[in-house]
Amino acid sequence: MSDDDALWWAKVRSGGPQRVTPDSAYPAGMTRLVEPDARAVWLLPDLPDNARPDVLEELGLSGFPVDQRGDTARVLASCLRCCWSEPSGPIWPGTSASLDDVAASFRAITDTRDDRARHAALLGAVRRLAASGWVGFDEEQRTVRLGPRVAAWNAAELSTLRELWRSMP
Amino acid sequence: MTATTDGQHPVFGPVLSELNERHRDEVLTAFAAVEHGRDPVPEAQLAALRDATLRRHLRRLLDRVGRTLVQVGNGHWTSGYADDVAARLSAEGWQPLPAIDRAVLVLVLVHSVAIPRSQGLLSGDSWTSAHPTSADELVRYAQLPRGEIRPALQRLRAAGLVQSAPWRGRGPDTGTAYLPGPALNRLTPSARQRLEHQLILAAAPESPLAASIRAKQAASEHTDGDR
Repeated sequence: MSDDDALWWAKVRSGGPQRVTPDSAYPAGMTRLVEPDARAVWLLPDLPDNARPDVLEELGLSGFPVDQRGDTARVLASCLRCCWSEPSGPIWPGTSASLDDVAASFRAITDTRDDRARHAALLGAVRRLAASGWVGFDEEQRTVRLGPRVAAWNAAELSTLRELWRSMP
Repeated sequence: MTATTDGQHPVFGPVLSELNERHRDEVLTAFAAVEHGRDPVPEAQLAALRDATLRRHLRRLLDRVGRTLVQVGNGHWTSGYADDVAARLSAEGWQPLPAIDRAVLVLVLVHSVAIPRSQGLLSGDSWTSAHPTSADELVRYAQLPRGEIRPALQRLRAAGLVQSAPWRGRGPDTGTAYLPGPALNRLTPSARQRLEHQLILAAAPESPLAASIRAKQAASEHTDGDR
């Protein structure tokens, strides 16, 4: 392990998963997620199980608050429903889905608020999720795909998510 | 999980292998608490923060990912970027925050910390504060469209760099106000000082204090150049 490895870990900590060219960086302890077209690789830190954020709950400590927590979680669930095309397989990279498909899934699991408010909630949540690497959002094409962070979910978490996927309309 | 041929985690393994199972768990738990927790963690809660030997191992673990332990007040701990790593990131021009976010953050720091400190209302070198800056003040001083400031504040809030607070000030301002967020606790003593110097240089570049800071910086660069 070198000083450059520590620098990569700091970059991911400050800027989220890093997208690099396939032959440019091999930091120790990071998973390399190859993009479907093999033109880029995402660097994602690989933490031991008991050093992950879910430890906070066991300790009764707060993590960073998420704006509009409920809607953000529901929109992430809708993205998973639309982009995880084969839930018996790996979650990454999944497939691209139109924002309209995600909106339809979101509509099916949200309350009866009016279309305008629901659309604003959807867009806000997709942008928040995109900024933190949970989804990719192409605003011009109005398409959504899963972001590199989903590859950090472990087997137990994926098993719960598969149940969620099956229960969603 | 990535692992070397001996099954060790390539980053954490060498430090953890020196510990027994119980101490390994305690050090990793403390790592998760200081790295992912919103606020500084009381040392009374975790053995690896309380015990100086375990704390040394925790510090080594953090060092391997470019981080360090930061003490906050009496008996609370969090983590932050190690000074040498922060210096290398700056030298590379690494900057994940857009310019508008940095401008809004500076305004919150000036109004919630620097001005109250200059009035004797805040002591110490912390960049946290209980003096809110109203959203109206931010719009007035930033001279930027409200439509650009709002998303910047949302991003800063998501990063823990600002937090919402009720506006309790005098005057016509109403509604939301902002305070420096819990991430400011993560600044090392050296980073806190650098931030203070930068604000003095920006706010009062002709002052004797700014001249003294510039002289110290020049001397330090000269010394580094000689090494």
